Amino acid sequence: MKIYMTIAQSEFAHFKRSPFKVISLILFLIAIIYGCQNGYDLLKRHNAEIMSIKSINEDSINKAIIQFEEIEKGTIDKPRRDPTIPYWAIWNTPSYAFKYPSPMMVFSLGQSEQYGYYKRVTNWSTIFDSDLAEEIANPERIAIGTLDFNFVLLYLSPILMIILLFNIGGLEKDLKFDQLIYLNNITKKDWLLSRFTFYYLIIFCSIFCSMLPYALASQVFQYEMSQFFKLIILISLYILLWTSLFYFINFFGKGSSDQAIKMISTWLTFCIIIPGAIHQISSLKYPTNYMTDYLDVSREQESEIFKLPADTSRMKLLEKFPRLKNTLYAADTSINKSIINRSLSGLVNILNKNVGYKIENSNEEKNEFINKFSMVNPIVFFQNKINQITKTDYYAYKNYRSDIQEMIDKKIKLILDDTWDKIIVDKARYVQYVESFK
Amino acid sequence: MFIDLTIFFTLSLVIVVSFSVNQNLNQEEYRSKAQKHVRNQWDNLEAMNPHRAAHYGSYAFKPINILNSMDGGVNDITGNVLKLEGHVQNEIVYSEASQSLTISKFGKLKSSLLLQYVVPLLLIFLSYGSISSEKETQRLKLLIFQGISLRKLIFSKSLSIWIYGLVLLIMTIIIQCVFLSDIDLETFQRILLIIFSYGSYYYIITGLATFLSARLINNTSALASILAIWIVWTIFLPKIWGNSVEKIHPLPSRQNFKSAMKEERSKGIDGHNPTDKRREELKSRYLTEYKVDSLNQLPINFDGIVMQEDEEYGNLVWDKHFGNNYLILQKQKFLYQLSGIINPFASLQSTSMGFCGTDMIHHLGFLKEAENYRRYLIKALNDKHAFGGSKTGDWRWSVDGSFFKTIKEFDYQTPMIMNQINHYFVDLICLIWFGLFVTVMIAFKTNKTMII
Repeated sequence: MKIYMTIAQSEFAHFKRSPFKVISLILFLIAIIYGCQNGYDLLKRHNAEIMSIKSINEDSINKAIIQFEEIEKGTIDKPRRDPTIPYWAIWNTPSYAFKYPSPMMVFSLGQSEQYGYYKRVTNWSTIFDSDLAEEIANPERIAIGTLDFNFVLLYLSPILMIILLFNIGGLEKDLKFDQLIYLNNITKKDWLLSRFTFYYLIIFCSIFCSMLPYALASQVFQYEMSQFFKLIILISLYILLWTSLFYFINFFGKGSSDQAIKMISTWLTFCIIIPGAIHQISSLKYPTNYMTDYLDVSREQESEIFKLPADTSRMKLLEKFPRLKNTLYAADTSINKSIINRSLSGLVNILNKNVGYKIENSNEEKNEFINKFSMVNPIVFFQNKINQITKTDYYAYKNYRSDIQEMIDKKIKLILDDTWDKIIVDKARYVQYVESFK
Repeated sequence: MFIDLTIFFTLSLVIVVSFSVNQNLNQEEYRSKAQKHVRNQWDNLEAMNPHRAAHYGSYAFKPINILNSMDGGVNDITGNVLKLEGHVQNEIVYSEASQSLTISKFGKLKSSLLLQYVVPLLLIFLSYGSISSEKETQRLKLLIFQGISLRKLIFSKSLSIWIYGLVLLIMTIIIQCVFLSDIDLETFQRILLIIFSYGSYYYIITGLATFLSARLINNTSALASILAIWIVWTIFLPKIWGNSVEKIHPLPSRQNFKSAMKEERSKGIDGHNPTDKRREELKSRYLTEYKVDSLNQLPINFDGIVMQEDEEYGNLVWDKHFGNNYLILQKQKFLYQLSGIINPFASLQSTSMGFCGTDMIHHLGFLKEAENYRRYLIKALNDKHAFGGSKTGDWRWSVDGSFFKTIKEFDYQTPMIMNQINHYFVDLICLIWFGLFVTVMIAFKTNKTMII
């Protein structure tokens, strides 16, 4: 044990005397802080935007309540879009679906810049509406990529390791005194291992310590403690992966330059070439979906529904929503076109949901294809795992789309039930609507 | 080593280029099918009210440039489908990146990825020891004693490696051209500019690596220094500066952008609200013009007039707000391009995307063209509504399906690079500046004292 401590001490002395290595470590720490700050800024921006929308919604609800009071008092006439009709009352009930950011977002922006995180939901909404587009941003900046903690960890930490490790064992070979070391009662394996362990600990501790202030600031320990520890485990495994790769390079290396070239080539292969190749192959197998199926529903099939005679629409509605059979209007044999027209979004929603499943399934096939390469593409595997922990991956946004769909279904259910029951909406009923979408 | 490397690189290149060209053709075919499908639906529209057709709308699918197979630029992360309809300017949606898990942070394996990351690294590996090895083996002294000028030696070493880089570059371009059969003058011009940009960058890399090899004590120091510079240039600076420019010139949030537009637009005429004040003014104007007392007596359909007036007001609002965003984006791009003064890789990336027609400037150009088409489409429909023979308030009036066929199709052509070149002057100047800087460094900062 004593010999390992001596090696660690001498390694520390070696590290201190290498300004190039010290500066690299400092730059790396700055990059981590910069990356976390970017994540923290985005987290705050998302929360602020959500709060601002909620506040606008509150104003709108208050105005609607005042309007109901005035209508009930008879001080104003009903407007063109009569709020006492369930359809318009529900239409005017502010209902936004939010993708609340996880405090863990500080550590990975993931795909959060590819999707919208708030959406006004109406009975005509779908999960692929254009108002779900991402925030306005410079596309070149997104293409180049954001420097977040995830990027620093996955792409810059191996580079830092190259800088710290390329001459470990290499310098001795360059100066041809490596054999002398093995005369000191230590094997090459143990000698390299103890030196690598020293750097492993330095890097891991640096990362962990730099993360702590941001974890505290974003209240990670309060809300996402287990996810934070999962992230820490992933980080330790990731650094271990690179340390092991570099260990073998140095073990069999012929000198510092040889080791540096092999290390940087390994980095290039794992970080750029392999992910790039898999990206290319997956795009070849699964081209970008232009969503023509969805576009067809939103134009062709939707207009087919509008063209249906009122009695056919009524029959279809009763068929698709059997509970409507127990309503007041169902008991009435006459055709009320207003009721039918206000219910048509229910039929359109079924079409949208069907096409939505189809699109999500095709995306899922692509994801499965990508995941098949995890063994040869470890960087992307870790990247997506971290994005999953920070709830910024594809699936986090898929869940968000499911939430939106649930909200649409709920709106439609309320519209159908209250319209077919010929409910006259008053202030109390409106407040119930508001509550059900809070 | 050169022969082995060249054979390996060529083989890899053939595979990479064939994959990317195939992917490009495949995607373009898919896009073209989607565009035809949508147009076919439009051509087969049954008789309907023109305003209903305006709501039915059309779609613009972002076309894929022929050189997209070389550098995809922003195409993977920007949307691909834009709905063009009345009353509203929609956002472009359905990007490739939003349809799956994240795959690569550096984009697809296209020739640009090899030319931007692999070839420069290869040139660094070839040049870092070019002079320092001569020093370590003491051969440099011998060469100097034989009367060779150190400066000439460094230049010739650097140029020979640069020429090797150029050979790889030209080979890439030739293979690319073989796979892309239809190369016109415009593409040829773009390719020449691409060769110039990459050629300049390779000169900078080889020159700098050779210079450091001459200046520093040994191979290891030279390699460590040039690798550090390469990392800072390619990985560190582009991201740090890219993020910073967005903070210096911030864009509005989508919510603020939309609500500002909505608010300004609400000051205009709502085509569906008959009690609107501005509508009343327009009504009086038309009644006076046609010398009639009521809308029923007008020989035209006033609703069409109102809707077009509303469109034009909306267009003004959109031009103002989108124009503001466009200006901010241009400022951001310019500021990013200025980083080329210290980072030639930024200039290379910008020119590579720009000359391949896949950068932000081209993307914004597409959006503008699509918006112009939307205006043409909606105006044609509103004019038909107003002057096609119907009367005010007659929303059941319909035009024959043959009318819709007369509306021309959206046809976007990538703009000529010579008309866009002003956007890339800064990058080109930065590359030239850096090339000169490296030349001056080699010419004046290498002296014979280093050989000892």
